[in-house]
Amino acid sequence: MASARVAVDVGGTFTDVCIFDEGSQHMRVTKVPSTPFDPMVAVLDGVRRAKVHLNQVNLFSHGTTVATNALITRNFPRAAMVTTRGFRDVIEIRDGTKDDLWDAYKDVSGPYIKRRDRFEVNERTNYAGNVITAVDEKEARQLAALLRKRGVTTVAVCFINSYANPQNEIKMRRILQEELPDATISASAEILPEIFEHDRFNTAVSNAVLAPLVSGYVNRLADELTKGGYEGDLLLLHSGGGSMTPRMVKRFAVRLAASGIAAGAIAARHIAQQCGYENAVGLDMGGTSTDISLISNGELRISKEWHVEYGHPIAFPSIEVLTIGAGGGSLAHIDIAGSLRNGPQSAGADPGPACYRSGGDQPTNTDANVVLNRLGTNLAGGAKILDHQAAVEAVDGVIAKPLGVSVDEAAQAILQVANANMANAVRLITIRRGYDPRDFALIAFGGAGPLHGAEVARELNIPVVVVPPSPGVTSAMGCLLVDIRHDLSAMYAALAASCDTSDLESKFQALEAEAAARLRHEGVADENCLLQRTISMRYQGQWRSLSVPIGSGVDALGQAVEVFHQLHEREFAFSQLDQPVEIYQIHLSAVGKIPKPTFVPARTLVRDPGAPREIRPVYFGREGWVATPVYERSQLPAGATFRGPVVIDQLDSTTLVPPRTSAEIDEWANIRIYITESDNSLEESK
Amino acid sequence: MTNVRLADQASSQSSNEPDRALDPVTFEVLKNAFATAVDLMSEQILRTCYSFVIYSRDFSSALCDARGNTVMQGTGDIAVHVGTLHFQCKAVLEEFSHDIHPGDVFAVNDPYRGGTHFNDVSFIRPIFSEGRVIAFAQNKGHWADIGGAVPGSFDVNAREHFGEGLRITPVRIWSKGVFLHDVAQLLVSNTRAPRQAMGDLHAQSEATAVCEREVLRLVDKYSTATVVQAMQESQDYVERIVRRSLEHLPKGVWETVDYIDFDPDKPEGLVPIRIKLTLDGKGIHYDLTGSASAVGTFLNSGYGTTHSAIYAGTKTFFPDVPLNSGFYAAVTADIGPEGTVVNAGWPYAVTGFCSGTYEKLMNGIFELWSQIMPERAMACAFNLEYLLVGGRDSRNDDAPFFMWYDWMAGGWGGRASKDGATATAPVFGPGLAVQSVEGQERLSPVLTTSHQIACDSGGPGRFRGGLGVEKGGTLTDATGPVMSYCCDRARSITWGIEGGLPSIPHGVWMNKGTDQEIFLGSNFSSVHLQPGDSFTRPSAGGGGYGDPLERPYGEVLEDVIDGYVSIGRAAADYGVVINEIDAELDEFAVDEERSRELRLQIRAQRIGWLTEDANLVAKRYRERELSLLDVIRRYGVILDWGTGELFANTTAQYRELMTRRSASHWS
Repeated sequence: MASARVAVDVGGTFTDVCIFDEGSQHMRVTKVPSTPFDPMVAVLDGVRRAKVHLNQVNLFSHGTTVATNALITRNFPRAAMVTTRGFRDVIEIRDGTKDDLWDAYKDVSGPYIKRRDRFEVNERTNYAGNVITAVDEKEARQLAALLRKRGVTTVAVCFINSYANPQNEIKMRRILQEELPDATISASAEILPEIFEHDRFNTAVSNAVLAPLVSGYVNRLADELTKGGYEGDLLLLHSGGGSMTPRMVKRFAVRLAASGIAAGAIAARHIAQQCGYENAVGLDMGGTSTDISLISNGELRISKEWHVEYGHPIAFPSIEVLTIGAGGGSLAHIDIAGSLRNGPQSAGADPGPACYRSGGDQPTNTDANVVLNRLGTNLAGGAKILDHQAAVEAVDGVIAKPLGVSVDEAAQAILQVANANMANAVRLITIRRGYDPRDFALIAFGGAGPLHGAEVARELNIPVVVVPPSPGVTSAMGCLLVDIRHDLSAMYAALAASCDTSDLESKFQALEAEAAARLRHEGVADENCLLQRTISMRYQGQWRSLSVPIGSGVDALGQAVEVFHQLHEREFAFSQLDQPVEIYQIHLSAVGKIPKPTFVPARTLVRDPGAPREIRPVYFGREGWVATPVYERSQLPAGATFRGPVVIDQLDSTTLVPPRTSAEIDEWANIRIYITESDNSLEESK
Repeated sequence: MTNVRLADQASSQSSNEPDRALDPVTFEVLKNAFATAVDLMSEQILRTCYSFVIYSRDFSSALCDARGNTVMQGTGDIAVHVGTLHFQCKAVLEEFSHDIHPGDVFAVNDPYRGGTHFNDVSFIRPIFSEGRVIAFAQNKGHWADIGGAVPGSFDVNAREHFGEGLRITPVRIWSKGVFLHDVAQLLVSNTRAPRQAMGDLHAQSEATAVCEREVLRLVDKYSTATVVQAMQESQDYVERIVRRSLEHLPKGVWETVDYIDFDPDKPEGLVPIRIKLTLDGKGIHYDLTGSASAVGTFLNSGYGTTHSAIYAGTKTFFPDVPLNSGFYAAVTADIGPEGTVVNAGWPYAVTGFCSGTYEKLMNGIFELWSQIMPERAMACAFNLEYLLVGGRDSRNDDAPFFMWYDWMAGGWGGRASKDGATATAPVFGPGLAVQSVEGQERLSPVLTTSHQIACDSGGPGRFRGGLGVEKGGTLTDATGPVMSYCCDRARSITWGIEGGLPSIPHGVWMNKGTDQEIFLGSNFSSVHLQPGDSFTRPSAGGGGYGDPLERPYGEVLEDVIDGYVSIGRAAADYGVVINEIDAELDEFAVDEERSRELRLQIRAQRIGWLTEDANLVAKRYRERELSLLDVIRRYGVILDWGTGELFANTTAQYRELMTRRSASHWS
């Protein structure tokens, strides 16, 4: 084997090791069971089983759930928070809101650092950055001694208004470092120099509780890889859609809190680009939930309103992924008022859908697909056998009988509701951003995405669906496609009209110097560094800002203001040209380009898909039962074309090409489904 | 689809049986699509509003049908607007019935037409299909200022609405797509921040257009008749859920009373709000007759907000039921004649309803349902509160006007199986976010000196009430600053149930701990300040649930380690004696033997404490022999917490309720 790239995506159940052979341009995937007690065991096991020689690997990237799991289980080292007197409880008071507005018995989870481990010192900086009370050296050292006595190994230093002037915070950090040389110290303004104490404090606290564990894990793994002969840097995926090396993980461990969740979105973007679609929706449908991502003008949406658990913000830019409780295992039921519902409760992996015969007797989307023969009963080459009769009984007993309809109609109804719910979620993420889904392609993946993709697209008037070659392991492929990336920011308050542009320029240059230093520290050559400035602006008096790309030079700000007006119009349906525009924050994204695998397109000469593996009756709402050809995906040549209905089976997924669509296997081995006739539910639902 | 019934024939369903013309899929898909259409409107307003109060989620959205009934209310809406949007829509219909055209948008904020308070301005856009109105899209948001005598338009001393702010009876703002600049200008010119108000006016109107677009998309796809039918069936569906849920609940009559602190027009004494709840197996009926006549402050409630309290309070026990007029059909109320705290009517001042009647109704309803659904029981929560400091900001040369407009999270009541929630947004709106101190300091010359959980603020109980918050600040550079406070429950203190104890009184202290210390109480207006003055106030914790003497030692110990409960109150409230071994290492130990003895002593004495001479208790408080918490939690005595003056009538009333809610459950 020639040189290879390896990406490892650790999920709750499986660890996927994805290998791209640079010689053959071929990608293969090895699945091994995850090992939650020490995820590294599965990673190394997977690498071994994939028969990869680490000395032939020229890039090893990794999406890990270590940080996410630690946050959810509160599995932290002995941590402490040091804060301004009077503000010990900022991370517990939060913004006070409840996630569930109506259920008085559903509470927001507790803070990452308990009250007993939060300490106050006398210090204060005001809104303008003037120090009102300096840190008292003696008091600071006494507190450090107390923390030592308590065996604290990691500390978050969170002072009010440190974003305006970090002097006190830095002094406190230095003293703690001197007194506790083995501890990790996270100062809030160094992690995230932004206004709003709860967001900043909690981000720093998250960093503090994660740093020792996460940094320890990645260093151990990096050591093992090096011992095995890997000469490059281990790249860790972070929530912003980029990656970083273990050297930066030590300082910004919190950015790994969503390592991996972005991988599916990145893969969706790649597939869309490959197919020439600037705008796409990623629909990653698994067993219990569906992740929806949005690509516009070739870029993924970035959000700073992000958390692992409600009420505990991690305010770094993250790829915006909307997760909804709809998946193959979502349960259909009749509610107390006699109405058909679908989800959000799920049968999950245990007991699973009724057709799994592992104790579940409630109908799921998977059962409905089995009843209608959309999903075969012999999956993964015989590794999984589904029980058609059990699915029929569940749908009949729970849905068909109470509604007084046939089992087929009931199963069809279950799927229609599921697809409409998914379409609503897509609508929320597109229309609320001012986009029209008709301009988008739908990238359907995950185990269940290809079964539902075409009908969700039709519901949304999306004209085309793309099903990638290995829908079940698309996320792992995303890990192969990332660059090193850092996101830096600084507060900058000024009116655009009266802003001192040379001062603004020097602030950007300061960020650029810091960014370049970080990338150099990670071994990125200067010619591979890409720095992109953005600036947050808003209409004066408004509370919501928009980030706008900005160049350098004297005209840059004026152009950015024009772009701001346009973006505001697009995003919010109005703009106010006469209203003063206010600058609020400046940002810099620093990308260290990593060479990507090159995929080579196949020739698409053949149009005939060949003989189907079988022909079986499949139920479709308007058409009823239709004799439908079933193909084996691995046998289909590039260029093959179909008219729906067709079912395409493969090891990790099943793709449904329904009636009134056409499909082809494109040069990248994707299935593209074209919706030739828009939906008309009136007829379909009778 | 053949059997779609015409919308005009549809009428409110009171039958228990599903009356459905739509197939289950079309119905479920359209019902969910309505929810999405309304939530899209909310997303839009959240992203474009100017008012920071709206940005903090004080807004709501609804889709109403052609008759003004609510088809769907937003899933993230503030509780206090629940059940008022249909009244406002109907008010527009009454005013303009046959004079409504495509491209029109109406505004209304009239609390005497089912609105909430003047700050809450609704924008209502008719949606047309096939030449007729099929629905209305409505967005209601809290403007930071709506004129009147005081900044922020919360005039605590107002007795009539004329000085409170601008009353907007239904008025047209867009006519057939043309913006009526003169009308809009008239509205915003009556506020202190016309530019902001104009921004919100546009943002809210645009948001209703988003909903219109969605509904018209559905009409295109499913036909007008089907969409109209689904709007009716969505209401029938909700009504059916509520009625079916009642089949599993006991029938009967439950009664309670809760109190507003005082009526300045009357002698000292708590102001009763009486609630009677009847379940007859068919519906949920409330009767508020017997509640006090309207008070001489602005804490009264109009009929809209009284209904909102009833719906929102009830919905808390049916958290999964969607909100629309079907819910309002299953839940009915007799709120009695006009002129009372629960049905104030024109021109009584009502802006402070949210801190007054509203909170009392909500918590009283919680108490009643706690008996019907004991597994979802919850004691009283802290009272909604707003502190306003306004003046000119002399940090800048042009000394702009500033408004430091602040509200806090607080504690919710102890529950049947766990402690109350700490530092949580008010029941009035659990999505109402408290503001960032750093954000406030940029905008106003107030330096916040503390924003922290208040030790011992949770009402003691087997399950402790959640803890409240203490927030204090110092005014730095300002000219002409005045301070106002809108709250309650300095006297009608947040109570426990099932043997649980009260939490702490609300109220603002000025220059606390100095020679100039003053307790300003929980409801005051336009107190003059000087730069350098400090002020602080707690939000109450929740009331306790169950007898605090039954709380396990270990749980009290954990509370002490975290500083939620002091060592002193662990003994006084819970009868748990805790010794400090090494506080630096969180080492404390329960002295079990002494705790057993102490619990016995408290058990023996506590009934007697509630009848001890209140004058004597007051005297001992003034002489600093008794702490404030002892006076309340042991003796049930209510004082002016600053001067120590006894409120004898109030104390008699408070002791009566404490006997009923707490003492009668003690063994």
